[in-house]
Amino acid sequence: MSEFLETAPVWLKDWVLGLLAGFGVPGWILDLVAAGMVVGTCIGIFLGLFALMSVMERKILARCQNRYGPNRVGPFGLFQPVADGIKMITKEDIVPAAADRVVHFLAPVVMMVPALLVLAILPYGRDLVPVQLDAGILYFFAVGAGTEVAVFMAGWSSNNKYSVIGAMRAIAQMISYEMPLVIAALTAAMVSGSLAPQAIVEAQGPAGFLPGWYVFTPWGFVAALIFYTCALAESNRCPFDLPEGESELVAGHLTEYSGFKYATFFMAEYIGMFAICGLFVTLFLGGWQAPLPALGFVPSWVWFFAKVCAVAGSMVWVRATLPRLRIDHMLGFAWKFLLPMGFVTFLAAACWHYAGRGPAGWLASLAIVGAAYVALSANFSRRFSLERRVYQFSE
Amino acid sequence: MNLQIFLAISAVLFATGLAAVLSRANAILVLIGIELMLGAANLNFVAFWKFSPSPSDLTGVMFALFSIAVAAAEVAVGLAIIILVHRRMNTVDVDDADELKG
Amino acid sequence: MIQNILNELAADPWGVAGKWFALAPAAVLLLAAAAAVVARNLVRAALALTLSFMALGVLFISLGAEFLGFVQLMVYVGAVAMLIVFAILLTRPDRLRRTATALRGAGPAAGVVIGLVTLGGLLGVISTSPLAAGTKCAPAATAPVARIGEVLMGSHVAALLAVGVLLTAALVGAAILAIEDK
Repeated sequence: MSEFLETAPVWLKDWVLGLLAGFGVPGWILDLVAAGMVVGTCIGIFLGLFALMSVMERKILARCQNRYGPNRVGPFGLFQPVADGIKMITKEDIVPAAADRVVHFLAPVVMMVPALLVLAILPYGRDLVPVQLDAGILYFFAVGAGTEVAVFMAGWSSNNKYSVIGAMRAIAQMISYEMPLVIAALTAAMVSGSLAPQAIVEAQGPAGFLPGWYVFTPWGFVAALIFYTCALAESNRCPFDLPEGESELVAGHLTEYSGFKYATFFMAEYIGMFAICGLFVTLFLGGWQAPLPALGFVPSWVWFFAKVCAVAGSMVWVRATLPRLRIDHMLGFAWKFLLPMGFVTFLAAACWHYAGRGPAGWLASLAIVGAAYVALSANFSRRFSLERRVYQFSE
Repeated sequence: MNLQIFLAISAVLFATGLAAVLSRANAILVLIGIELMLGAANLNFVAFWKFSPSPSDLTGVMFALFSIAVAAAEVAVGLAIIILVHRRMNTVDVDDADELKG
Repeated sequence: MIQNILNELAADPWGVAGKWFALAPAAVLLLAAAAAVVARNLVRAALALTLSFMALGVLFISLGAEFLGFVQLMVYVGAVAMLIVFAILLTRPDRLRRTATALRGAGPAAGVVIGLVTLGGLLGVISTSPLAAGTKCAPAATAPVARIGEVLMGSHVAALLAVGVLLTAALVGAAILAIEDK
């Protein structure tokens, strides 16, 4: 039974293709249909996850803030995305008179396309990678560069000072946080010996006493934290959501967008968030591997999506907890802490590998990472004097 | 689909970049033309690698890779100079920066 | 008749779709480059340049150098284009001077004429050279990432280290040049 569930998607696709081949459909149409089925399934799953996420985020944030979330529209408010969708589609689409119409129109498209393209290389299950690329991790970051262009197009084409300032800040943030992100990803790729995501997942092999995931090693834990922080910054999530904070610059580069274009930006941001959570799971949390060999009867794609949903849920939790960073604090954090920490983690991973991947390697990499952390965070500590609080009540 | 088509494409790209460098007054547009010329040269390298007798040497690809790295460094320094010139003389017109004294 | 055209296209070592996979990005590249050179508006020129970089990256991927194509997209589109855009926004022109996209004194004539002469010369060399004429492609010309790693750390390691020093020098130099002395 678990074998059948494990290979169910591939079996389904082969069955449909066999049916069509039986009708005498030529070879190249079969290739197109196969590609179309894979792409359609991926996009469908992630759009469904986006819809679920948009309501679950609001409900989790609400519960963290001691209130209910949206609970009118369906059972427990679960049909809220439908209501949101109808609202977004029927809103009037206003374009400023002095805006550059072509660029203003193309910006949501240029934002959405990379978010969907990066879903192609994630290994969703044991044999379930849509596209097997030798340099998959590099493809992810190369395509993600398109998002920065879209942010600039959105900000500049609105012909609005606040949009341009918001876009500049967003681009500065994305470029600064992209460097530690790439270095943390390269750490995992270096230890696995390949840039292909499926090889990285397979290298986090079968579980021993602890699962062989990279997050359970000292350098892997630090690299995972660095990757997670930079992933929050790349998707403009709290505490790094200065570019789109309502109290800062209206909506930053999204000020002049309404209706369906705003919904497209929103969708692109969430799908990008899921994609980068998927990459985090692939690199550090073992992808589709089960934590214990005894739990291997659960299909691999269930493990993958469970882990991705857990990481996305933790991102919502972080949003409910932490306040927003100021732009100079944000950029200083990236350049003065995360980047040197990323380099040191890279070095620690190499030491772990060359010390034999055993207890000696653990101690060496733990020492290197610990020393660097203490040295770098001394930069950021301030002297507080904790005095007795005096409460003043109004009369 | 032979080598000549790719060389022709790269030649047209190079000529476009050259026309931009020679005829535009804004320093940033001159830099855009330079980038187009560098891209044309990279395309030439990759085309010659693809049709070379021993492609596993990867010579063309390596050359293009290092060319991309050097071009990125050159753009950074060039733009820093342009911003500095704008700060001193309040112009980015290449015809206005015609004195040797700063 | 259509069957003949299809046979002819299929006999090409690149296959039916392969030809368009290489020619379509090439067409986009040339059109975007022309738009970048001719544009009145500076930011539109920068965006057209970004599009031409993307098309060049796709062209590299279609030629089999996938790693190079991804590096082109990441470095040029993600970094160089953004640098150019930042520089455009930081060097906005004064009202009184001539507009940002003016042409130089002699007008477009000098640039276009010299460009056309260069193009004619290059195309002449390409069409009459014995090297380029009868070359058929090696269908297995791929650049796997492992092989690129071997070559970079093996025979090209001196160049790799030199590029590291060069990039560090460029980083420090650009920062020193552009920093404002308060």
